[in-house]
Amino acid sequence: MFRRIRTGTAPVMLLSLMLFGQARAQEKAEVLFTGTFHGKLHNTSGRATIYKEASGDLLLRLTNFKTSNGPDVHVLLIAAKDADDDANFLKSSTERIELGVLKGNEGDQNYALPSGTDLKKFQTVSIYCERFNANFGSAPLEKF
Amino acid sequence: MQTSARPHLRSSKGRWILVSFGLFVLAALWWAFRPEKLWTSRKVRESAPFGSSGDPQLILTGRFESKALQTNGRASIYKEPGGREYLHLNDFGTGSVPDVHILLARSDEPKMTRGGLQGDVDHIDLGPLKDDQSDQRYDLPAAIDLGKYHVAVIYSEQSHAVVGSAQLEAF
Repeated sequence: MFRRIRTGTAPVMLLSLMLFGQARAQEKAEVLFTGTFHGKLHNTSGRATIYKEASGDLLLRLTNFKTSNGPDVHVLLIAAKDADDDANFLKSSTERIELGVLKGNEGDQNYALPSGTDLKKFQTVSIYCERFNANFGSAPLEKF
Repeated sequence: MQTSARPHLRSSKGRWILVSFGLFVLAALWWAFRPEKLWTSRKVRESAPFGSSGDPQLILTGRFESKALQTNGRASIYKEPGGREYLHLNDFGTGSVPDVHILLARSDEPKMTRGGLQGDVDHIDLGPLKDDQSDQRYDLPAAIDLGKYHVAVIYSEQSHAVVGSAQLEAF
C-alpha cells in the first residue's frame, strides 16, 4: 500500500514541478537600467541589465559578457557614474554593494540585488579583483 | 666519525628546510596570481529566470544624444516573433523643428559627427517623425543590415541638421 502511494504521487509531483517551472518561466520582468561594459586594463565587454521581476525582486543580468579570468573577482554595484579611472573608486571611499563572486569570466549570468537597492545612487556595475584591488571593467547603467 | 656525520646531517636538514620553504613560496605565489587563469576560461550560461517567449525581442538599444537641439530618450530595435523588426522610442523628447525625419545611418559616417548630413549620406529613411515628445514606433523595411545601419538619427530635412542621434548597441 505504501508502495502504491509512492508510485502514484511521484508523477504528480513531477508534473506539478514542471508546471510550476513553466509558470515561473512565463513571468514577465521589466528592464529598469542597462549599459555596456568597458575595460581598459583588462578587456571587458558585454551588457549589464537590471530587471525588476514580477515578484518585485531586482536582478542584475550580464549578457554577451567577457572579461579576463583572474583570482578573487567580484561583481559590485558602486555609487558612482562610472569607474573609468581607478582613482575614482579604488582609492576613495566610494560606497559599494557586493553582489558576489563572478560566476564565470565568460557568458550570461544572473545576480540577485539586495532588496531596496537605491539604483539612483548605485549607477555602475564593476568587475572588481579584490586581491589586487583592480577594476577589470565597468558598465555605467542608463535608464531604459 | 661523529664530527664528519654531523655536518652531513645538518646540510641535508638545511636542504629540506630550503626546499619546503621554496615550495611554500611557490604555492603562495600561485595562490596570489593564479597564472593558469591566463590560459583558462570559465564559461557560464545561466538563462534568464523570466520568460520572453511570444514577446518582441529587444535586439539593439541606445540613448539619444543632443546634437543641434536638446534630444533625450531611448531608441530600441525589437524583433517580433514573426520576424518583423521595428524601432521604438521611449522616454523621448526633442525640440520642435519643421520637416523632421527619423533615419537609420551608419556609425562610421564622417558627416554624422559634424552634425550635418549634406550630400549623399548612406541612410535608411523611416519617415517623418511622428511626434517630438511621446513614445512611438516605426516599422523597419525588411532585410536591412542592422550591423551597418545602427545609428538612429533625428534629422531636419529643411536645415540639413542632425537634431539628435542614438548609437544602438546589441542588447
